[in-house]
Amino acid sequence: MGLLSSCQSKRANSRSVSMTFDAQILNMSGISKAFPGVQALDAASLSVDAGEVHGLVGENGAGKSTIIKVLAGVYSRDAGDVEINGIGFETLSPAAVHDAGVRFIHQELHLVPHFTVAESVFMGQELQGVLGTKNTAMRRRAEEFLEESLNAHISATTLIRDLGIAERKLVQIARALIDSKAQIVVFDEPTAPLAIGEIEQLFQAIRRLKERGIAMIYVSHYLGEITELCDRVTVFRNGKNVAVESEIDERSTETIIRHMVGRDIEELYPKKDHGVRDPILKLSDLTSDGRFSGIDLAIGKGEIVGIAGLIGSGREELTDAIYGLAQPTSGIVTLDGKDLNVTSPSIAVEAGIVLVPRDRRHDGLVLDLNVADNINLASLDEVATSFLENRKAAIQRAEALCEKLDIRPRNAEAITRFLSGGNQQKVVLARWLATGSKLFILDEPTVGVDIGAKVEIYQVIEGLAAQGAGILISSSDPSELLGICDRIVVLMRGEKIADEPAITLNLDSLTALTTGGGSVDTAT
Amino acid sequence: MNMVANTGGAGLRSILVRYGFLIIIAAFFAFFALYTSSFLNGSNLLNIVEGSSILLILALGMTLVVALGGIDLSVGIAFDMGAAFAIVAMKEYELAWYVAVLIGIGGGALVGLLNAFLVVRLAVSPFLATLGTFFIGSSVQRVFTNGGGPISHRRVPTEYRNLAIGDVYGIPSEVIISAVVLIGYYVFLERSIFGKRIHAIGLQQSAAVVAGIKVRSYIAIGFVLAAATCAIGGIIGSANLRMFTPLAGFSYLLDAIAAVFIGASMHPRGRPNVPGTLVGVLFLGMVANGLNLMGLDFNTKDALSGLILVGALAIAVAQRKLR
Ligand SMILES: Nc1ncnc2c1ncn2[C@@H]1O[C@H](COP(=O)(O)OP(=O)(O)OP(=O)(O)O)[C@@H](O)[C@H]1O
Ligand SMILES: [Mg+2]
Repeated sequence: MGLLSSCQSKRANSRSVSMTFDAQILNMSGISKAFPGVQALDAASLSVDAGEVHGLVGENGAGKSTIIKVLAGVYSRDAGDVEINGIGFETLSPAAVHDAGVRFIHQELHLVPHFTVAESVFMGQELQGVLGTKNTAMRRRAEEFLEESLNAHISATTLIRDLGIAERKLVQIARALIDSKAQIVVFDEPTAPLAIGEIEQLFQAIRRLKERGIAMIYVSHYLGEITELCDRVTVFRNGKNVAVESEIDERSTETIIRHMVGRDIEELYPKKDHGVRDPILKLSDLTSDGRFSGIDLAIGKGEIVGIAGLIGSGREELTDAIYGLAQPTSGIVTLDGKDLNVTSPSIAVEAGIVLVPRDRRHDGLVLDLNVADNINLASLDEVATSFLENRKAAIQRAEALCEKLDIRPRNAEAITRFLSGGNQQKVVLARWLATGSKLFILDEPTVGVDIGAKVEIYQVIEGLAAQGAGILISSSDPSELLGICDRIVVLMRGEKIADEPAITLNLDSLTALTTGGGSVDTAT
Repeated sequence: MNMVANTGGAGLRSILVRYGFLIIIAAFFAFFALYTSSFLNGSNLLNIVEGSSILLILALGMTLVVALGGIDLSVGIAFDMGAAFAIVAMKEYELAWYVAVLIGIGGGALVGLLNAFLVVRLAVSPFLATLGTFFIGSSVQRVFTNGGGPISHRRVPTEYRNLAIGDVYGIPSEVIISAVVLIGYYVFLERSIFGKRIHAIGLQQSAAVVAGIKVRSYIAIGFVLAAATCAIGGIIGSANLRMFTPLAGFSYLLDAIAAVFIGASMHPRGRPNVPGTLVGVLFLGMVANGLNLMGLDFNTKDALSGLILVGALAIAVAQRKLR
């Protein structure tokens, strides 16, 4: 009881309390959680009112995912109180939290690749009939739900492994919400892997849920999304909540950033000025049957080229083909004037092409190796005397790169699995930073990265370009492409439909190009 | 590497879980020391080490394949081929003993080559590929020996014989050979950049591919090296008996797997590793020896090994939960 009142007085202190007349539906206060060597949460608080969308922001490693896993009963807390719907919970188990009506859309997708969409949506909550599970009914419900609440046209019999990341995210959301008993839904960076069209779909779904009185916690590094969706915002820093902002609008962004990083960020994107230079990479008529066709593309030394395109546009497949993860059926790839036949990533790396993959947990990192091993994985020769690893040199090389990218915790011997999402992304980037490669393919390089770190990453990319490397950035964030690229290539249904200097484009025209003239039509 | 330090106030339960396996080993050791008169005897301890030498060699080969994310059910076949090629080289072709040793190792490597072809070229899973090799290799041996009769060679050169029964300053040559293999594997798997890549491949193959590691070559070479290693075990075995006994290698398969997984369960991140495999092998050797000294039926040894293996894996799971 005392807790409740103390928290209410705290709320009264914040400038004004709009539409928070309703009862508090969730109150977490004084939550602490330590991991070996890290105080992930230090008496942090988070309280949510019924029917509000509550933003949760903070730098990488601030403790956002940790407090959410505490709420989910995944981690036990060292200290603090949790009340859901006015009922105190001494301990939290996943089952108890679920019964209390809390649902989670975690940052990581936990879906079984060879399950169908319907099986995944209903996993653990199958509809039981007299003769076993009602498969037809489940298929119909799953499709209905995806269609109506998420505006996604996905057949319920498709296998998860045949879906793109965006579609998997939608399935994951459908799974959490299909039993319609949810009262609080927690989204941990839901839009990170989504393309523009799908983000709007997700927002529509969130607004619809809000109308039904469901409270939501929304964790994101995209402050634009936060200001668009949220009623209030809690800011975390170093495991503590440093501010709760209400009356959120566009002007709140600056205040929020200041609370997050403790300083103002003036320039998000570095100034760029790249003249025309010799091409480093040339694609001529590159085709991969059924995926993309007839792609011509040239990237100059020191040039930053962006690829925009929805899921299914061939964007992912094109970068995979350049890197040797998939074989094109025809066409020519030339690097630095020499024809290349890249049949595997090891050949690409030897030739000087490197990739930061979109799915860092699966393709980017060996999660059970430490940070130093992951950073040095492609440059082991450099940290070895003949063939024996020189531990000291390895740690030093890794630590220098951790320093450069501000990877936290600053411990090269930490196991990579336990880093926060954004810091993991930086580890993947760090691997290629000091390799002197000629062409960097960056697939969603800033997914899950906080705004301060984004600025740093953009500067690093700019620095690579300044040294004469070619950069190919594939991204679903149009403002990122507009901000950092010299040129932007737009793909649609496997074909190149535009190749324009970035200064001739703006957010609206690029979005229109990507989505096919403005109307969102990703199906077929 | 060691993330588990500096927690502070760990409590008895977590200490038990963390060092559980070492505690079990110590308990068995103490138990045998107390309940048998000769267990602690210096010559008996040397017996355990000597008796574990061949298993250690095979278990090291297995460690390499498991570290790459696979499994090798055909280690026994490579063992047999090592013995057969070496014995036949000396008996039929009257080749020098050291040439015979090289031919034996080469014969074992052929088994690995077949595995590599199946796994890397035909993309068969390691379990099925090596199971296939196991069946093929067993059948080939029976056909060539008319149903499994041994090929004996009473007049093997003394140098060859000494690979098994000789000693250097009192240390049995088996122990010396296995120690050399052990050190080689330790340096290769745990200290070299190749080992680092091998662990990366075993832990997260797709990430290793994207990092530009030649994953297919590593897997192929891993199978060949592992099989060549097992052939060394077969050579020692044939030197001891002065003959090639078909299908003799099979008896090492399950112990080798058990030793590798006991070793992996002792690693903080559950990884197969060379020191762990050594502990696993010595542990199995100690249990077999102790039970023997107690006059217990030799056949109960397997049951106990099984229980211990399951226990070790359970501890490993508990260890990971604790974090
Ligand atoms: N299981 C774990 N073991 C050890 N340390 C952990 C574990 N989980 C998180 N941490 C550490 O706790 C801190 C907070 O991590 P958390 O994942 O909550 O950050 P976050 O705010 O979600 O960051 P991001 O925006 O990058 O996702 C980090 O320093 C992280 O390394
Ligand atoms: Mg997080």
